Amino acid sequence: MSSFKRRTTTKQAPTPVGARISPGATSSFITSTGIPSLDDILGGGLPLSCSMLTLAPDAHSAYGELVQKYFVAQGLACGQKVCIVDEGVDGFLSECMWTPGAASNPVPAPAADDEDEAKASGEDAKIKIAWRYEQMKQFQTTVPAQNQSSEDYCRVFDLTCRIPEDILKSAKSSGQLMSAPVQSEEDSRPGSSVLSALEKILAEHDQREGPSVPVRICVPCLGSAEWGDFTQQDICYFLLWMRNLLRRHPTACASISLPPHLCADSWGGPGWVQKLGWLVDASITLAAFTADPSLTAMFPSHHGMVHIHSLPAPTTLLSPSDKFSTLRGLSSSGENNLAFKCMRKRMVFETLHLDLEGGVGDRRTTPSSSASALNEAATSVHAAGLRPGDIAAAASGGAGAAIVVELEQVKTTVPQAGQSDKLETETPPATVKKLKAKKKVGFVSDRPDLYDF
Amino acid sequence: MFPPAGLPLPGELLLITDELPSPADFLLHKLLADHLKHVRGSGTQTRCLVLATVADPARWKHIAAKSNVNLDQHVASQRLMFIDVLGRVQSGETLRPLYDIVQAELGKAAAEDEGRTLVILDDLSPLEWVGYTTLELARFSRALSAASRKANAALVIRHHTVTPGDPDDLLRHLLQLAAYHVDVRPLASGRSGAVSGEIALHAGACSTPTHQVKAIPRSSALQYRLTDAGATFFDKGTSAGVL
Repeated sequence: MSSFKRRTTTKQAPTPVGARISPGATSSFITSTGIPSLDDILGGGLPLSCSMLTLAPDAHSAYGELVQKYFVAQGLACGQKVCIVDEGVDGFLSECMWTPGAASNPVPAPAADDEDEAKASGEDAKIKIAWRYEQMKQFQTTVPAQNQSSEDYCRVFDLTCRIPEDILKSAKSSGQLMSAPVQSEEDSRPGSSVLSALEKILAEHDQREGPSVPVRICVPCLGSAEWGDFTQQDICYFLLWMRNLLRRHPTACASISLPPHLCADSWGGPGWVQKLGWLVDASITLAAFTADPSLTAMFPSHHGMVHIHSLPAPTTLLSPSDKFSTLRGLSSSGENNLAFKCMRKRMVFETLHLDLEGGVGDRRTTPSSSASALNEAATSVHAAGLRPGDIAAAASGGAGAAIVVELEQVKTTVPQAGQSDKLETETPPATVKKLKAKKKVGFVSDRPDLYDF
Repeated sequence: MFPPAGLPLPGELLLITDELPSPADFLLHKLLADHLKHVRGSGTQTRCLVLATVADPARWKHIAAKSNVNLDQHVASQRLMFIDVLGRVQSGETLRPLYDIVQAELGKAAAEDEGRTLVILDDLSPLEWVGYTTLELARFSRALSAASRKANAALVIRHHTVTPGDPDDLLRHLLQLAAYHVDVRPLASGRSGAVSGEIALHAGACSTPTHQVKAIPRSSALQYRLTDAGATFFDKGTSAGVL
């Protein structure tokens, strides 16, 4: 008989609703933020018992709030409890996104691309690729959404949809959706009444439901006008106390945003963002380009940069993100530059790359517009050349030879064709003008057959 | 390779400063594990006090388990104590209640004539950020170092640098009290997969020439790489990523 014994696994706690075991540490559970690419940056998701701070210092956009809305929508969709700390909770909820309706759109593509992107990939397939590069997989700047099996972990939300009223109503009546009002009066310290209210909610929840249902705490605008006179110290106190609170109640997690003007060192003094990073588990800045037109011009396909200050590591020294994040790419070499963009239907975090060929803004996912213009021009020249003349004349040279000339020479050759063939005096001048209009910088785009070996 | 032999000197203050991209957690965990495993200090009985502003004993336990130290056992035998700083000083302007607790514990340890004691204060800086004055914190750290000196206990204080290159007032006070100063910094070239950061060891104002711990200047700082179980140290330019 073998002396080896299978080590019996100790009785493990059941996985909480909408959570999964962290890839880096088997003893901690993670839950999704609602954005697959943000989950990837955090190392699979936000660990329970951790707090996440999203800073969006740009006053002209509300990307920080958008991340909060994803966080709330994901919590409601996967059946976790959600507690929102804000004044206008109903207004906030009415702006939350939702999954596209099951009846109207039964099979949402898992990789849920926008239509134009899907079309672009179709066009890509037609491009001839040199054999040695053909086997390479397509260049990807972001991670795909989850496959069907783990759909409940991170739903595919659509920014054009809103949470249906009846879902909100039933969530409120069943206690799934809670809200804590912001009271600024009669506090020894601003925010302390909110903290005690949260503590009460978490204690009640632990008694009633136990660890099977996680609680999400969402603070969309900590320190805004409704919170009263919040100083730097009050915000630090709130964050530190919140972090301790979550450690005492390890089934809860929190996502916090600050109003834009509080997110920069100019408000909190030197090292303010660093301080905030120390007081929470995960801290990222979404620095939107809207304030700076030159940045918008430089990165036309993105809406802002992502700066990572700190990442959650609830039970390990090394953050799971360092090992498992595809977007950050630390496992192979240095860290990637990250950016985000907000499309019509979803928000995506991506790796940031400089454009090819330096200076041309559009990505070559569709054939360049000048190439198609040339085709169009070529056909019209065909028409112009062949309509009045007989086929024999075209075959003998003359006008037929003028068809294959390049864009810039058309103007000179067409009159020549007219001279050589006296019959075609009615060559329409309109087509000539059309040919002149297109001019492109950067690519040698008037030769579509450049790579045709 | 690090820390050098005998580094948390009994009766002296070891100051650890770190920055956000390179947290010095790994050093604190290593010091605790080494202390409990009797690697540092020859006493048979060791005591340890951990004062933490983020009360997270679970994390300490998980990380200690990676280096084969069972903290539950030590907590049960009362050789290890976690003290929640924020809970103790919650109401009030002064850190006196916290100091009283530490002093009582140190007195107990000295009375029982046990081996060496290690006191770890994890994060002094958040206390400053939530509103304690620099004066109050300077007094507290001075009293704490005096108490540990009296009890011949090693004291380790961690302080975050949020404005690199521009030391704040509290750091100046701490440097006056410290025998040695461990400076943990990220690489100037940004985050890397192969090197997590670098460490320098400076002598503080209170170091005596008899101690003979060799300082590590900034110019030849020791580099480290975090792993699951701890950190591996290597000299500059010799990491696996470089060679």
